[in-house]
Amino acid sequence: MERKLIEGFVEQMQLAMESCPAKSAISGVMGFGLGGMFGLFMSSMRYDTPLTAQGAEISKLPVAQQLRQGFKEMGRASWGSAKNFGMVGMIFAGTECAIEGFRAKNDLTNGVAAGCITGGALAAKAGPQAAAVGCAGFAAFSAAIDYYMRMPSDDPGNDPVM
Amino acid sequence: MSFLFGGGARPQPTSAEKIAAAEAEIEMVSNMFNQLVDTCTRKCIPPQYREADLNKGESVCLDRCVAKFFEVNVKVSEKMQGEAAQRQGAGAAPAGGMFG
Repeated sequence: MERKLIEGFVEQMQLAMESCPAKSAISGVMGFGLGGMFGLFMSSMRYDTPLTAQGAEISKLPVAQQLRQGFKEMGRASWGSAKNFGMVGMIFAGTECAIEGFRAKNDLTNGVAAGCITGGALAAKAGPQAAAVGCAGFAAFSAAIDYYMRMPSDDPGNDPVM
Repeated sequence: MSFLFGGGARPQPTSAEKIAAAEAEIEMVSNMFNQLVDTCTRKCIPPQYREADLNKGESVCLDRCVAKFFEVNVKVSEKMQGEAAQRQGAGAAPAGGMFG
């Protein structure tokens, strides 16, 4: 009897995880994490050398101050990148899930349309032309990735006979 | 005297008739179930099995397919009942007219 309750609860949790808001949130969190890592790496490559004027000023400070400034830069870049990626992930997953629920089909066009909306939404502040370019670019990117993911594998044992 | 056609007491169904009626109903229900599963699988589930679970598009499609199937069933049976009642009414009227 308790086992049935637990199984029912697990099934409900699974259904909730597959709902659109949950997918969108999970994707946003994963994008946030990925963006943080990415921003961290990118900031470490962008660091000023003592040859530039700004870099020379920083290199005159004591080591502790230099380290603190360095970490602050890394944190800022990482945070900005994390926010960006998190936004992208959230919007893309949310719109793709909504479009798929509306069309009742699992297709390539779901990803393409969601990519267009995401690209357009992220670039909307820079005007309609930038939004169109963002839409086209992101849609193409999403189409390429989805096409690669959906290619039938070379191992015939993996895909069952139908 | 046409009111006697619907007003007479019908004899109670015997147990054999009840068993036959139950069998017919089971067969009808299982037929409907098989047809429903076949139709909705054919319409909603494309034959590429990349994963074992139903994804969101497929489950939404199945929900809609089952709901539409039952609605179609209900509407068609309503129309059939309407036709049968019409035919019965048309059949009874000339018979009553013979007396009246």
